[in-house]
Amino acid sequence: MSFREKSDWVSFISLGFFLIYFGGIARGIMTGSPTDNPYFYFILFWSLVVLLVVVQVVTHVVLAIRSPSDARTPVDERERLIHLRATRPAYFFLLVGTFLTIGTLHMNFTAWQTAHCVLAVIWLAELVRYGVRLFYYRHEV
Amino acid sequence: MTSCHIDNAIRRLRFEHQEMTQQALAERIGVTRQTVNAIELGKYSPSLEVAFRIAAVFQRPLEEVFQFQP
Repeated sequence: MSFREKSDWVSFISLGFFLIYFGGIARGIMTGSPTDNPYFYFILFWSLVVLLVVVQVVTHVVLAIRSPSDARTPVDERERLIHLRATRPAYFFLLVGTFLTIGTLHMNFTAWQTAHCVLAVIWLAELVRYGVRLFYYRHEV
Repeated sequence: MTSCHIDNAIRRLRFEHQEMTQQALAERIGVTRQTVNAIELGKYSPSLEVAFRIAAVFQRPLEEVFQFQP
């Protein structure tokens, strides 16, 4: 497994931590009891951002130490192709999600909820991007 | 994804060059080992630039390294 594939696995898994956050928000919206304590979500969000950064930095440093030549190799043409191909479905997801978010304006969502819909769409698009990259890496495109 | 019909003789040429590893070839042409593996297995068609670099490493003409199967 190449350094960049490992890096994508780290990014995919660490982004997955945000399922805790968006899952909680979505549950609140579904059950009709949205955030009675927005400060809890504020703290949770920034805690997850810090966790994401720490996990990314530490794992990338460890991976680079374990295989320095692999980490130094620049992105080659096949990897660039994989990245481009992964961007296409992610962009489509982002576009559809954006229009669906606009639709929430007709559902009496608060500004706070709409903002979280936008964040969730960006988050899911990133997950799609990394997921598709990993799919192509695994299938040796 | 891309089903190419380009055969190649990279495995044989590596064998003939003192069992050159995929990693060694990858370092000489500036790609990752995984990309060399994908090219060798015919799962990825390299750019002309990389194809010429591979041919140059083995000091063979391009058509001896890659063969197009219509």
